[in-house]
Formats: sequence, structure tokens, C-alpha cells
Amino acid sequence: MENTSNIPLPPFDLGAKFSNFTRVVGSKVPIAQTPKELVWTLNKAKLYRYVPVVPAEKRHPVPLLMVFALMNRPYILDLRPGHSFVEFMVKHGYDLYLLDWGTPGPEDKNLKFDDYALDYMPRAIRKMKTISGSDEFSLLGWCIGAILTTLYAALRGDDGLRNLILLTAPLDYSDKKAITFARWVDERYFDVDKVLAAFGNMPGEMIDYGAKALKPVENYVGNYLKLWDNIENPHVVESWQAMNTWVSDNVPLAGGAFRQLVVDLYRNDRLMRGEWMIRGERANLSRIKANLLTVIAEGDHITPPCQSAGIMAKVSSKDKELFRTPGGHIGIMAGSGADKRTWPHIQNWLATRSK
Amino acid sequence: MSDKQAANGKEFDPTETFREMRDTYMDAWAKGMVETVNSDAYAKASGMMLNACLTTSSPFREVLEKVMLQALQQCSMPSRADVISLAERTINIELRLDDMDAKLDRIEKLLTQPSASDAKRNRTAKTRGSKKKGVK
Repeated sequence: MENTSNIPLPPFDLGAKFSNFTRVVGSKVPIAQTPKELVWTLNKAKLYRYVPVVPAEKRHPVPLLMVFALMNRPYILDLRPGHSFVEFMVKHGYDLYLLDWGTPGPEDKNLKFDDYALDYMPRAIRKMKTISGSDEFSLLGWCIGAILTTLYAALRGDDGLRNLILLTAPLDYSDKKAITFARWVDERYFDVDKVLAAFGNMPGEMIDYGAKALKPVENYVGNYLKLWDNIENPHVVESWQAMNTWVSDNVPLAGGAFRQLVVDLYRNDRLMRGEWMIRGERANLSRIKANLLTVIAEGDHITPPCQSAGIMAKVSSKDKELFRTPGGHIGIMAGSGADKRTWPHIQNWLATRSK
Repeated sequence: MSDKQAANGKEFDPTETFREMRDTYMDAWAKGMVETVNSDAYAKASGMMLNACLTTSSPFREVLEKVMLQALQQCSMPSRADVISLAERTINIELRLDDMDAKLDRIEKLLTQPSASDAKRNRTAKTRGSKKKGVK
């Protein structure tokens, strides 16, 4: 890792401070350091198993599969040593797997949620079951990954799914006024077919712009001011660099999935209304029977809390919990308070249900 | 150092006041911008800009694609469509291989696990053995 523990600067040495600042902004740091092995691949998707550090007899017998969003890198779950959800869960004795969707190419422009939920996920889960030797498993989905895990639970929930954890899950699109993205992709203003005809897949840079434009001052100015103010604090600089490395590593979203996201979800709210057809099969949320933990970030501007709460009333799960925690869309899992609030809560909830 | 010490023991920072003013201004600016981007007017304006950009670039993109296709054909090189088609076929092969892998796993599981009839046979043999011992 690049040494960012800067020598304290004299208060008015602006030149040196600026030089240090530009160096930090322009550099990337190694992330995703927890040891893992590649156990399965299909097209661009990869399934990783994290190397256990707890002896087999002390590990939880039910493995956990983490599914992240399609348009961001999943290593946000394993950001940096000492501040990594993956590291935390491995140390607590979980047999942990990560499904990395990879970067879609032009040949993947027709990939849809149908393909991810019914081709890729079942295959990856089969492999995980074979390796772990367990017929039951837990799923953790974050952001768009939570849509995928919800779809899987609704369509293939009888396949051994015991626990379902949804983090900042954008499932409910009924309150259009509360969702800025819904306003932007309104059919009066946004021609999804024209965009996809031009690009094939939705470019990562455009998605990144969309996410940042929700809070433009914080993202384009405040973020850098925070670094400038704390350039002499190695802890702040280290975490800023790790987060900046992740934020600037954008992935395009497959065209077919983007069209579904806009038309089926943002515009027509088909999942919550029970009208979303996935390969001719209706995604019926009442078919979800797994133990359910829904985590809501109270300060989430990308997935406002109203998008995640509605599922609680739709599922048939007898054991379900809605956990609200302060923080933003990413901050609840990767922010400085994550290891004190969100991670222990998820771990404690899962531990009692993974025996 | 003494001139840098304020009464409360903190280091004197001449830029503190400036920073406070800046943060106050930033907060107000941020709130204003969030309201702006969350309006129909912004959605309409950004949609129009994107549309105009795509409409303007579309003819150039089409010409470029045609020229590139011709150039690749002249050089006996595969086109973008050819490469995509090849990639799609590879993915299909991967899917078939994964299906085979799943079948092999099932077969292996069946072979390594004792079958139900084996287990029954073992149980019967054990029962017979214990009965014989009982007779003796």
C-alpha cells in the first residue's frame, strides 16, 4: 500500500499541501486483500470462496453468498484490511462466497435480470453447495444485488435458501416523488431505447454521473474539501483513498438489465405489484419464506428508505426483521461506523440462524 | 509555540473562521442543488441535453461504423459483429460445460454416498448378526 502517512506540514505551506493533495487524489491503493480462491466462472461472472481462518468444526455450517450490484465492483465488501466486512465475517466463522458479475462486454448487451437470477445465480449456488457440502445457504444482496437475491428467493426459494439479507434494497418504486432517479428516467424525458441503441450497455461513467449528481455539491466539491482539510491525518487519507479507488472504478450495466430497471421497476413498479414476469414466471414475493433481514440506511439518497420497507409486508417469512441504521447507501457497510453498527447486527442475526 | 496556543488549549488556526464560513455556504449550496436536481425542470433539461447529444452524434457514429466495417473487410479482419457472435458461442459452450459439471457432481455424489439399498442390506446383516449372538 502506498505510504500516505504524511509528515505534518507547516500550517501555511500551501505548496506542499497541494502537492500532497494531488498525489493522493491521483493515486490508487490496493483493496480487496482478504485471501480468496476462484471456484467457478461463467462468462464474466466469478464465484470466489474466502479462505476460512476458523477451523471447520467451529465454522457455521450454512454458507453465505454475497451478491453485489451489477454496475459497481463488489470489493466494497472487502475494502481494506482492518476495515472489511468480508474479513469480519470470515473471522466470525462463516464459509463466505462472493459472486462477482465482472464487466459486461458488447456481447452481453442483451443480458437481463432473468439471466442473472435464473442462469447465473442458480449455477453459482449449486457450486457453492457442492463445495460447502451444505444443502442450505444464506444470501446477502446489496443494492441491485438485493433485487437479484429477492428475485431468486421469489422464484427459486425452495432450493435451500434459509436466510435472506437485503441491504438498501431498491424494490418499491411506488413513491415516485421520493425517488430522484424515477423522475430522471420518466418516459417524458428519458429515451432508454435511444441510449441503449447508441451504447449497447449503459456506460459506467453515465451511471456514476447519475449517482453523483444526486448530491452534486457533496460529491464533486465536499468530498475533496474533506480530503484537503484532513490531508495530514493518515487514517482519513487511507480511507478516502480506498473509497475513491472504488468509486472511480465503474462498470457498465448490461443493456437488457438497464432497460428492465428503467421500464419494469422505475416506471411501472412491477416487482412490488406482483406483475414482473421473469422468463414467463411471475416474481411473487409472497413465495419468499426464508428468514429475512432488511437493512435500511436512514440517510440513503440513492435508495430512499421507502424503497426497502415495503417488502416486509409482502413476504411469507415468519422470521423477519427490519433494521434501520444511520448512514448512507454505501456508508452503512463501508463507512467508519459500519464495524460498530451494521456488521455486528448482521453477524448476530445470521449466527443464530446458521446453526 | 506559545503564540499558537489559544486559551482552551487548542492550536490557533487563522483559517478556522474562513472554514466555518465556507462550510455554512457549502451546506446552503448543497441543499439548493439537491432541490434543483430533484425537480421536473432538471429532469427535463438533462433529458433534452442527452437527447440532443445522441441525435447529433448518431450520424457520425453510423458513418464511423460503416467505414470501420469496410476497413476491416479490406484487411480480412473480423468485424465487431463477428467477434460478438464468437463470444456468444463461447458463452453457450460455457453453459453446456457447466451443465455437464453439474451432472458429474450428481453422479459423483451418488457414487460416493452409500445407496439406500446398501444401507438396508447393512442394517439387515447387523440385525441377523445380533440375533445369532442372542441364540448362542
